[in-house]
Amino acid sequence: MSGVRAVRISIESACEKQVHEVGLDGTETYLPPLSMSQNLARLAQRIDFSQGSGSEEEEAAGTEGDAQDWPGAGSSADQDDEEGVVKFQPSLWPWDSVRNNLRSALTEMCVLYDVLSIVRDKKFMTLDPVSQDALPPKQNPQTLQLISKKKSLAGAAQILLKGAERLTKSVTENQENKLQRDFNSELLRLRQHWKLRKVGDKILGDLSYRSAGSLFPHHGTFEVIKNTDLDLDKKIPEDYCPLDVQIPSDLEGSAYIKVSIQKQAPDIGDLGTVNLFKRPLPKSKPGSPHWQTKLEAAQNVLLCKEIFAQLSREAVQIKSQIPHIVVKNQIISQPFPNLQLSISLCHSSNDKKSQKSTTEKQCPEDHLYVLEHNLHLLIREFHKQTLSSIMMPHPASAPFGHKRMRLSGPQAFDKNEINSLQSSEGLLEKIIKQAKHIFLRSRAAATIDSLASRIEDPQIQAHWSNINDVYESSVKVLITSQGYEQICKSIQLQLNIGVEQIRVVHRDGRVITLSYQEQELQDFLLSQFVMDLKVAARLWFSFLVTNVKTFQKVMFYKITNGVIFVGHSKKFSGIKWKVETLFIKWSCLCLHLALVYYDFFQMFPKEVSRNFDMKCLQINYKYKEEITCKGVLFLKTIIRKCLFSTLKLSLYK
Amino acid sequence: MRKILSPRVRGYRQDFLKIAQVYPVPYLTGGSESSCVVFNLDTMEAPPVTMMPVTGGTINMMEYLLQGSVLDHSLESLIHRLRGLCDNMEPETFLDHEMVFLLKGQQASPFVLRARRSMDRAGAPWHLRYLGQPEMGDKNRHALVRNCVDIATSENLTDFLMEMGFRMDHEFVAKGHLFRKGIMKIMVYKIFRILVPGNTDSTEALSLSYLVELSVVAPAGQDVVSDDMKNFAEQLKPLVHLEKIDPKRLM
Repeated sequence: MSGVRAVRISIESACEKQVHEVGLDGTETYLPPLSMSQNLARLAQRIDFSQGSGSEEEEAAGTEGDAQDWPGAGSSADQDDEEGVVKFQPSLWPWDSVRNNLRSALTEMCVLYDVLSIVRDKKFMTLDPVSQDALPPKQNPQTLQLISKKKSLAGAAQILLKGAERLTKSVTENQENKLQRDFNSELLRLRQHWKLRKVGDKILGDLSYRSAGSLFPHHGTFEVIKNTDLDLDKKIPEDYCPLDVQIPSDLEGSAYIKVSIQKQAPDIGDLGTVNLFKRPLPKSKPGSPHWQTKLEAAQNVLLCKEIFAQLSREAVQIKSQIPHIVVKNQIISQPFPNLQLSISLCHSSNDKKSQKSTTEKQCPEDHLYVLEHNLHLLIREFHKQTLSSIMMPHPASAPFGHKRMRLSGPQAFDKNEINSLQSSEGLLEKIIKQAKHIFLRSRAAATIDSLASRIEDPQIQAHWSNINDVYESSVKVLITSQGYEQICKSIQLQLNIGVEQIRVVHRDGRVITLSYQEQELQDFLLSQFVMDLKVAARLWFSFLVTNVKTFQKVMFYKITNGVIFVGHSKKFSGIKWKVETLFIKWSCLCLHLALVYYDFFQMFPKEVSRNFDMKCLQINYKYKEEITCKGVLFLKTIIRKCLFSTLKLSLYK
Repeated sequence: MRKILSPRVRGYRQDFLKIAQVYPVPYLTGGSESSCVVFNLDTMEAPPVTMMPVTGGTINMMEYLLQGSVLDHSLESLIHRLRGLCDNMEPETFLDHEMVFLLKGQQASPFVLRARRSMDRAGAPWHLRYLGQPEMGDKNRHALVRNCVDIATSENLTDFLMEMGFRMDHEFVAKGHLFRKGIMKIMVYKIFRILVPGNTDSTEALSLSYLVELSVVAPAGQDVVSDDMKNFAEQLKPLVHLEKIDPKRLM
């Protein structure tokens, strides 16, 4: 064969014929496959007419259609087989069941049709509803309604619950977020007041005065922590703050500098035991958060520590005539003899233990608030000076320092000029000077007041000026007599109270410097009283004394204290009072007498001799013993008696 | 008035002492800042040049230095940050003219002195500075440490230095801002090259950046200063990286 011919492939259906019989020799006898009609019959036989209506109808329609298709076949088969049915068994004909079922269905349909037609006429048959119980039909719809309502409600509830769940979730998230946001907003507020920086995952802040010019080596760092111990279930406390600050342990509590002036403590062993009294914390603004008060208190403690460190450093380094003593938290110095100035740092922590102990002793009277305030001001001045632009170097490579100090080299300043540049006084010296001045001023005021209260005539007036310096105050003192102010206008003194001296400027231009001794001022003022009396007496004695007869008897009394009035005259023309010794305290009495006489003689204007000798009115400081009031009264009554007996006039109104 | 020499310029003590015997030296107190170097040129002979260091007397001051640079466009943000971090003062600007003088002796390395004057502040004294070699100490030290002597002088400094034998090596103009934080000084400035020697008006910028220097002048031995400087430099990152730059490595 030349070419490969196309191979014929025959395809057979896979359906194999059913084996009818296997012969003895192995040959198979196949059943012939069913023909179409035979297949249809087979299927029809399998129809189950007792099934549901739909399938039955379809199948019945299908079989009906098929049955109609083959009416000829079926009828012919029927005809053929009707005879055969009588003869053959009915199961051999597949359409038998179909036919029977159809026939019975037809029968029934006919019956139904008949009944319906009869019922329609309503002559022979009517439809009567069957009476039913009312309840069951009613119950059914109610329960049905209930059940349906329940179901629908359940559905609605489900939706609502879902929504509520979502809402609560969002609310809790919001709350958490709010706390989160609160921390950030608090942090923002904190940042507006304090310097913060982030180091790693910690937030640190700076509460020292270094950025304001302080050179104190304390670091002053505080830490900002998040307050997470919050129970969302419990009620959030009103003062809850999501932010908390942690201050260094040595800055806790509150502190202040106590400055007090006392009489010299006789026992040196008492040093170092300063009564700390817990000052109530300064009221913070009502809206300020708790961290603000905490930080401010810590900053105050730091400032007090700096002030005290500066003071103690100066106390040790600066040489003074009387060395200052630094003991524990107290600096003691002596501004004046018998006087002690003590500056102490009172730092009270917030422990409950110390609170109990400090409420025992509280004596704030000797604390000078002014000086404490001034200490704070001075240290701030010092801070500002370090930051001032005169310290900045020009040219820029030069070191920091005062501008004038840099010029001291090129311009060849000498030691005095350099010393004048440098602030020679430290904090301690300034405070001591201020304390001295305050003490001197208060003592001068006390002296003037005591004199004024003791001596009724003449009167002393003191006009203190409102505007004073830290180192100088001034007061204007007037010494007058009641009713005779015009006469005594000349005694006006201006006292300038300085740090260690009192300078007196008289109206007539004299300037006298008094030291800090209390007695000097007192003596000086008393001498001024006497001046006043001198002037008054002089005036009195410039008038004529007329009635000689009334003074025929002039009494003189010797008092044991050594005052001797020596005055005698038989004739009135020219009263010569020769006073040999006179106390200063008696001079007032003298003046009083003189004025009494003046009054008296004014009423009876008479001639008075001009022979009054001013020299007689000598003042002798020799005798300074106190005169008792009794003695004064005694003398007064004597003189009055003398007067009244002669004149029978009442002079004392 | 006869002007007097002070014996505090480093390296010339003996010579000055000789002259000081002739003219009385006024009493001076304080540290090196109050030293007076004012020069009398009439009767001076050129003394032999020696370079013996000053022993005793003043405290040995060291300069701790960290340097970095920023480009022009980042200057504003750096200035803002420095204003926030540094002490609360009015911002200071400066305009300085610096001249570097060299004295070539027998030794290989010349002796360097820096003379600086302020161009915008009248009346400010001139500033003479000696900077020693950087101390090769431990690596842990974060800043460059070198010996430093600072003196304020009068205006005829350049004439004196020329007479002493110094020759001007180079000069430049520095213009910028000055900040301080405690004892630390922060300078942010631009260097201008002088085109015509001696004429400070004709300048041109050397680069498009600003030099940032963090320096502290402190007595020797205080290494805690360098830690503070490092902490401060950390706060300026990432705007500027301040680090220890060895000048020898740049040569």
